[in-house]
This record gives sequence, structure tokens and C-alpha cells, in this order.
Amino acid sequence: MISRNLFFKLIKQDMKKRIWCPILIFVACFLSLEVRMLMSMEEFVRNPKAHSYDLTVYIREYFFGREAVFMTVVVCMAAFLCGLSGYAYLHSKVQIDLYHSLPVSRTKIFWARYLSGVLQFCIPFGFHVAACMGIAAGRKAVSAGTWLAMLSFIGIEMILFVLAYSVAVIAAGLTGNIIVSILGTGVLFSYSAGLALLKFLMAERFYDAYTVYNSRGYFIFDGSIWNFSPFSMIIKFFSSPNNTTMQEAQKFFRYDTSYVGVLLIAAVLYSLAAYVIFMKRASEAAGKPIAFRIAEPVIKTMVVLPAAFLSGFFFCSISYSSSEDEWFLFGVIFGFVLICILMEIIYRMNLRGALMHKRQFLFNAVCTALIFIVFRYDVTGYDTYVPSDAQLESCAVSISGLMPFGQEVQVNEFGMHCLIPNEYRMANMELQGNPSVMELARKAAKEQLSIRYFDYYEGIEESPEYIETIERQSNYRGIDFGYKLSNGKTIYRKYIIDIADADTLRLLSDVFNDIDYKIGSTPLFNDSWNLTFDAVSCESNFRREEIELTPQMQAELIGVYQKEYMKLTLDTVMHTAPVGAVDFLFRDREDDTIFSSYTGTMYVYPQFTETIALIRKYGVDMQEKLKAEDVALVSVQNNGYSSNSLIYRSPYNTFNPFVRRTTVYTDVESEEVEYTDKEQIQQILDSIISDRVIWMAMDYTDFFEPQYSVHIEYEQKDFNKSGVSYRFIKGKMPPFIQ
Amino acid sequence: MITAANVTKHFGEVTAVNDISVTIRSGEVFGLIGTNGAGKSTFLRMAAGVIRPDSGKILMDEQPVYENPSVKADIFYISDDQYFLPNATPRDMAGFYQDYYASFDRVRFDEMLGNFQLKPDRKINTFSKGMKKQLSVLLGVCANTKYLFCDETFDGLDPVMRQAVKSIFAGELSERDFTPVIASHNLRELEDICDYVGILHQGGVLMQKDLEEMKLNIHNVQCVFQSAEEEKAALGLLDLVKAEKRGSLNNITVRGSEKEIMEKINTFSPVFAEIVPLTLEEIFISETEVVGYDIKKLIF
Repeated sequence: MISRNLFFKLIKQDMKKRIWCPILIFVACFLSLEVRMLMSMEEFVRNPKAHSYDLTVYIREYFFGREAVFMTVVVCMAAFLCGLSGYAYLHSKVQIDLYHSLPVSRTKIFWARYLSGVLQFCIPFGFHVAACMGIAAGRKAVSAGTWLAMLSFIGIEMILFVLAYSVAVIAAGLTGNIIVSILGTGVLFSYSAGLALLKFLMAERFYDAYTVYNSRGYFIFDGSIWNFSPFSMIIKFFSSPNNTTMQEAQKFFRYDTSYVGVLLIAAVLYSLAAYVIFMKRASEAAGKPIAFRIAEPVIKTMVVLPAAFLSGFFFCSISYSSSEDEWFLFGVIFGFVLICILMEIIYRMNLRGALMHKRQFLFNAVCTALIFIVFRYDVTGYDTYVPSDAQLESCAVSISGLMPFGQEVQVNEFGMHCLIPNEYRMANMELQGNPSVMELARKAAKEQLSIRYFDYYEGIEESPEYIETIERQSNYRGIDFGYKLSNGKTIYRKYIIDIADADTLRLLSDVFNDIDYKIGSTPLFNDSWNLTFDAVSCESNFRREEIELTPQMQAELIGVYQKEYMKLTLDTVMHTAPVGAVDFLFRDREDDTIFSSYTGTMYVYPQFTETIALIRKYGVDMQEKLKAEDVALVSVQNNGYSSNSLIYRSPYNTFNPFVRRTTVYTDVESEEVEYTDKEQIQQILDSIISDRVIWMAMDYTDFFEPQYSVHIEYEQKDFNKSGVSYRFIKGKMPPFIQ
Repeated sequence: MITAANVTKHFGEVTAVNDISVTIRSGEVFGLIGTNGAGKSTFLRMAAGVIRPDSGKILMDEQPVYENPSVKADIFYISDDQYFLPNATPRDMAGFYQDYYASFDRVRFDEMLGNFQLKPDRKINTFSKGMKKQLSVLLGVCANTKYLFCDETFDGLDPVMRQAVKSIFAGELSERDFTPVIASHNLRELEDICDYVGILHQGGVLMQKDLEEMKLNIHNVQCVFQSAEEEKAALGLLDLVKAEKRGSLNNITVRGSEKEIMEKINTFSPVFAEIVPLTLEEIFISETEVVGYDIKKLIF
């Protein structure tokens, strides 16, 4: 070689040639780092009390921490810019003639350009991060941890840059035209995410038992789809786990650090793939849409098949009869033909080439039809699959619509953190040795009950078919199973069960009554979570009080409650009105706000005598009765909605393609009667139950009249009593109401 | 020496170069002639290591060219549409090539720029097509490589510039080991530059010949014989390539040396016999007609 420094000269030449690239990145980094930091700092200085931490923590945990996801968008854009501009010369015959005739190996050309692209991002990015550190130091907001956070930030963003950059280089190498390269970058960058979305949509539409569970709960993390595309990886990396402890959730810096290694390996592999493609690419491919002719049919199939089905879902989402196959099939066929033609036109760069390669067309059509048949007719037996006892290690069950519910709670000022009860149970419950569990699963899988949805038309409410279906389906309930197999895999299914079926109800009771089910159904009883609560909200029929908890009180209360909860049966839940509910809370240290806990509201039944006594000892009588003298007025409203609930897909709901159907309730005229007579009021007060202590088991209870709602106006305004609506307990409704 | 043996290159379903075998001797100016699509550029791109042949070998001093930087250090390739860096000046381009070609003569380049009245700091994108071609040749010459491949570089150069370039080539040839290979679709452009010519047609080599040898071995004779018998006997003795007759005047193209031809004709005491010089074009017409091609349709 003529010069040892040639490699560096090549880098210098390339940077000189594409100087606009680092300049653009410089400006983008300036806006997204220094400017953003200064704006945030300004807000921080103006409203110091709005934050529960100081500026140093903000810089370390927020700016260089979880907000890295914002910078990742800029990083990916910069990566695409560097990658595509660096290798766009491959698309120009005249440039190829120059660069590939020079006395330098292609390996050297590739890596010099590759490194040049990385430096074009790295230098301005590093400069601006350093400037941010300077700004932070100027505000005396730098600690030793800040340096570590900054280095982590740089490291992670660089890995993500290389990942996205390599994808752009691969796309440039695989194609011979800049427009096709840009499209290719987009496809490669997000292909696995698109597949995951498609699988989710297909399974949602065609499989009744389909459900997705994992630590994050997004369809994109469906375990059966390999997350090889950077977009999937980035989402996975930055997604905060739902099923974590409160302490984990409250952390600011929530990268999935265990995933950094995967990202690093992926970045290296993508770089090597880009190099191999570059070396294998023929110089004469410049100007052609696809550089490797052999790849044309593969790429076409990989694009056409998913695009056809996505088109089907698009037409479904804008049609009025989404539950039927017609519009879906129309969309699939239309999308298939359109994309096939478009791809041939792109390949040939000629409109006349639109109908070329009829055999490929036929092959793709057969594949599309096969995929449709597999999903539509459940060829693989997805819905009916239940593992054998020999395959099963343990099982997790979540009975939907039965307490306790999880909820979305704000864990810190940066946002909400969601705990989905089904997710929690699937991750934490391990039922073994209860034959009713699998018997119920097999029964549900065999019966294959499903909710039938109707596409709305005027007069549907009078249709006998509709009325019969609604009546029958009123006893349908959802139940989810997580089969943990001995081979390490976990398979999830959701089923519809009919609780009007005595056998089903017996099996369901056996599951609910299982102590392991109860322990695994809420983090309140999960010792490993080490939950520390600050207060407990005690809600009785007519009052809501918060009791400050000491650790001893917490241990005592949860211990007593757990002991009694373990004895609770489904029969009790269904037929007994609770006396109240407890909700364990924690307090934000700075602004004194009380937040709901992860545990959800837990009902207290009359049988929980020790719990009731303990809470009474703490100063709240959950069985307190209300006297008519305290009440000015009681109004009773006849809603009458329950027998007329409609389930159909709203024709106006076109914005969400994931939703096939929407539950809509008909408007039924309601009438309200006010009672001021003290005797009548007392009778009403003695026969009602608060909405707040029935909603979490509403699907399984039959001890109240859903038709009427009761509102109370007190003689004196009382926050702890106002704003609650009530229902009549079945069999106790005063005769004058009817 | 450049040796191409059975080189074939396909672009999809098109065969750009079909089983070409050519030998280009060092120290000669080789002209590669052919119509558009004959395979000249493809051959040069393969010879320069830009693209790889599908089959066959191209050896440069017995070394393969493709992905061989040490061999490519002896080659400077000027494509038919030479690429210059964006916003570059001649000086920038000289700096660019200097990084790749160790023996790039910067002093000579500056001097030659002056001779050709090209401003070193003027943006190349403001140059005319001819000026760009001049600059390409100057860069190629100053790179001091053994081989200089010029693809249609001389097409469109005005005669003065072509003469100037020819002088430079002559100087280089006398001073160092220098082998320019010049591709053109126009035979007239190469007539006064090349020593050796190969004609490409439809991806294959139609013929390759030494120009001087060709000129010495084929002649046009205009003659009038005293009788038809003598004329028939005389023409029967000659290696005729082509014969035309207008009235009594024979216009014949004959293979052989001037002396040999005239001796044979003079044996029959012609009324009139004279050697008329052939242009390169006429030589090629004659030669290719013999092998069954109408070269007028191919390269003029």
C-alpha cells in the first residue's frame, strides 16, 4: 500500500466530502441536548417545589437517564443520514468507477467509510454531551454519579447509533437506488416489529384463545417473534417492565440493562452483515433497485405477504362490518395485487414490468392463501390446545373481572406505571396439585365459547337472534391461563366460560378457593415484594377514612386480612355483600400526596371479623350504619340499562384498527324519584350498598339490584361521605321503590 | 502487458463482453474501437478492476487486477463520465489522487494546468465538457501510472488539444514505461494517436492489428492496363482485397508491400499505375469487409 496512513486519509476525505452531515448532526444535537437541558433547568429553577429531587438528580437520572429515549430518535435519524449518505456512492456508476478503480481494497474503503460515518455522529454528539456537562457543572449539578450516567448515556446511544447506522448501510448495499434504500432502511429497521404487529392482529382476529403476556405486555414482545429489527430492540430496551416492584418502578433510569449485551452483539452482527453485503455486492449493481437479483423474490415475498394482510386490517378498520371476512379478504387481495405490481415496477423501474414474474405472483398468492387458511380455520389447533399433565409444570390463572383489580398508579412525577393484574398473576402464580385447574382449562378449550359481536344496524335491538345471544352471553366470563411447561416455555390462553354451567362454576370455585390462587393473585401477599405502605384507606358503606400505618400495624393488618381472605370462597363473593374495602397506600415524601398502591382495593366481608375488629381498633367502624337524621334527601334512579346493553362495532370508531368491536349502551330513558320522608330514607339506608364495594366483583355477584342507583344528600357536607352512589341489596329493596 | 483471456461479462440477460481475448503490449498506445454497446467500457472497467469478469481472466503483468491494490496502483482509469468530488477544484482533485498514487507529480500537474490554461482553483463543475476531459487526462498522466485507461476521453476534444495530448503521450512513452489504452467509438479520433487497434463488436473482438503494419501491408492502386487479358492476368497475381473499375481505370485494394505490388503490376507494362495512400478508415473498411462485416455500419 502506498501509505500507512491511507486509511485515515480515506476517513478524512470522506468527512470532507460529507461535511454537511456532521454539521446537520451538530445542530440537531445542540437543539436536543444543550437547548433542551437549559429549558428544563429553567423550569427547574422557576418551580423547585414541583420536583421531589434536586437538579443533580435531575441531570443524572433524568437527562442522562430515562430521557435517553428521546435522544435515541435523534440518534436513529443521524444514523440513517450517515449510513445512507456514506454509501450512496454505490448507487452512482460514475462514483463507483472512480472509487473502485483506485488502488485501495474494498475492505479498506468499507471500514474507512464506516468509521467516518460513526465519527460524523460521534464527534458532534460527544462535543454536545461535554457541553451539557459543562452547563451542569456551571450550575453545580454534577456528582460522581453524573459522570457514570453520562458515560452510560454515551455508550448506549453509540450502540444504538451503530445498530441503526448498520441497518442503513445494509439497505444501501442491498439496493442500487437511494429511494429504494430509504424504503429498505425503514423496512429493515422495523420489520420484526411489523411482523409482531401483524401476528398480534391476525391472532386477535382469528384466535379466540389468543393472548399475550410477558414482562412488558406489548404485542411487540410476543415471544414467538424474533426481535431482530433495531426498532423492536430499542422499544424493548427502553420499555419499563410492568411487573416489577414498586422500588424498581420508581427508579428513573430504567433501561433494561440486561439487554445491553444483546444490543451490543446485534450492533456487531449488523456491522459485519453490512460488510459482507458490501464485499459481495457487484459494482454494476449501481442504479438497479435491488443489488442482488437473487434477493428480489425473497424481498418481494417478505414485503408482499405482511403488506397484504395489513391491507386487510386497514379495510376492516374502515368498514362497517369488521367482524365479517368480506372486507378483510378484499383488503388482502387488493393489497396483495397492488404491492406485487408496485414491487415489480420498482424492480424493473418500468410500468410495463408490472405484471412480470407470474410464477412468483402465484407462489406469493398461494402463501398468502395458506396463511389465511391457517389462521382462519385454526389449522394448528391454537384455540383447542391444552398441554397434557405430563408436559405441565405449573399453571397460572387469572379470573377476569374478579377482585382484586390492579390499576395504573403514578409512581413518580414522570408518569404512570401500570400493573395489570393478569400480567402479575401470570408471572407470579404457580398452581400445582389442583386437578380442577386443568379440568377447567380443558373444558373451556373444548367448549370454545366466544363472544359473538354484532355489526350494528337499525332495529338490531328487536332482533330475536340478538336478544337470545345477549341473554346467553350475559353469563360468559373471561379466564386466562398460563401453562408453564416442563421444557421451560410458557404458553398463554384466554377462554370464555359460562358461569351458568354448574360444572364450570364448581371448577371455578375450586380454582378461586385455592390458597395458591389467592396468594398469587395480588402483590399484597407477595413477601418478596417487601411492600411498605404509609396508610390504609378504609371504606365502609357510608364513609372513607385513611389510617396512617406503622410497620407493625401494616404487618398486623395484612396478616389478619390475609388469614381471613384465604378462607374466602367464590360462593361468598357471589352472594355476600361486603361491609367495606381496604386499600393500602403510599405517600409521596415531597408533596404529601397519597397514591394508590399496586395491590388494588381489597374487600372486607362480614366473615372477616378479626379484620373488622382490628380496623375498629384503629378508629374506623366499617359496619357503621347511617341515620336518617343525617340525611337531607335520597334520590333513586331507575337506569334500566342492564337488559339493553348492545355489543357491536361502532361505525364511527375508525381511528383504532386494533379494536374490532366496541361496546355501546343504548340510551334508555331513566326516571328519578326523590325521598325526603325520614322513615323511607331509613328504610333505603338499611338496604343499600356502596358502588365502591361492589364494582370489583360485579361480574360475579348477584346480591344487588343493578337497575337502580341511589344518591344521598347529607344534612351537612362531608367529604368522606359525599359523591358515592349506591345499589339496593337484592331482596331488601323497600316496596315503595318499585 | 495486459492479457485478457476468454473474458465474458453479462449484465442480466445482456452479454456485454463475450469471450474476449486481447493482448496489450507495454509501451504502445492501444485503441479500442467499437460502436456504443460494443463492450469497450465494460472491458476497460474490468481491466481497471472496477467490475469482475463472470469468466476468464484479466492479468496485468501476470497479476490479477480485481481487488488487487498493488496492481491497481499501476492503473489510472478515466471513465467516459469522469466523477469529480463535489465542489472540487483541479487542485483538490490532485490532492485527492495524491493520496492514492504515491508517484503523483504535483509540480508537473500544476505546470501542465498552466499549459492547458486550466485554473487550479476554479470549481470543476464550472468547466466545459472538453475542459473536464483535459483535466482528467492531466490527472491521469501526472499520476505516473504505467497504464492509463481512457474511455471515450478523446471524443470531442478539439484537434489542438488532441495534438497536445498526443504530444504528452509521446513524451511519456519516450520517457517511461507507459501504456495508454484508449476506447472510442470513432476511428478517426484514434488514427493519429494509436499504435495498435482492436475492434470490438457485439461484445467480441472482431480484429486487433498493429496500425503501422496494417498501413504497410495494404495499399490502394489505381491502374490502367493495355488489354483486358493483361488486366485479368495482373489482377490474378495480386492479393486483392477489393476491386472496382470505372471505364478502363482499375481502383484496387491489395495486400502486400508497395514494392511487391508495383513489381507485379509493372510486369504487364500498364498504361498507368499509381499507389494511392489509404486512410485508416479505408484500411479498416477493407479488412473488415473481408471477414464479412460492413464496418461502416459499425464504427462510422
